[in-house]
Amino acid sequence: MQIAEHREGATTIAALEGRLDTATAPATEEKLLSLLDGGGLVADMSEVRYVSSAGLRVLLKAAKQARVKGVSFSVCGLQPAVREVFEISGFDKIIPMHATRAEAVAGT
Amino acid sequence: MDAAALRHEMPPDVEGLPGLLDQLEAFSEAAGLSPGAAQRLSIVAEELAANVAMHGTGASRLLVEARREGDSVHLLIEDDGPAFDPLSAAAPDLDAGVEDREVGGLGVHFVRRMTREAAYERRGKVNRLTALLDAG
Repeated sequence: MQIAEHREGATTIAALEGRLDTATAPATEEKLLSLLDGGGLVADMSEVRYVSSAGLRVLLKAAKQARVKGVSFSVCGLQPAVREVFEISGFDKIIPMHATRAEAVAGT
Repeated sequence: MDAAALRHEMPPDVEGLPGLLDQLEAFSEAAGLSPGAAQRLSIVAEELAANVAMHGTGASRLLVEARREGDSVHLLIEDDGPAFDPLSAAAPDLDAGVEDREVGGLGVHFVRRMTREAAYERRGKVNRLTALLDAG
């Protein structure tokens, strides 16, 4: 998993690339949680081809931490197969999703 | 060797899962699965294999087999750990909000939702989980 950081105003964009699975979840979680210390965060998933339940657990932790800190957390650019995983798990109802990075930044 | 078949034996540990996913992706491409079907196969196999890797104390081997037959994919996950039926786990509460939501049980929820059928069987000293998925 590669994670590139960008800054858009007060929001941090974490561009994820690779698989978000059992093996990559711990390092991804550490990175996203540390980025949330800097304020609102958007996880750009457009280069993520695979998300398992371990990956969803990471995003849920990030969403919970954002709630505690009073900052925003959303995801954007989900590939169709990844979006299906969100829908089957009900995560589309608990983590804000946007089509594009621009919409995600505007929505935060 | 049949291009549309996979047989992957691995030690039951988390470090082996990326290699399993690599093998499953290669299989899905060779077997001509749709992107959605490839994702479902990888998730079902990873969830079940991770289950054995993380809870299957005592298992010494894990076998994953997949083969395509027409519009179906047959998946077999076998381990020699203590008897355990992963399909017996409780379903998650899909309507809970972000504060209350727990992720426990989500793996088996995926297995139920992403397969046409899934069955557990204890055969001798081996756990056998067989599943049937759509190829399209």
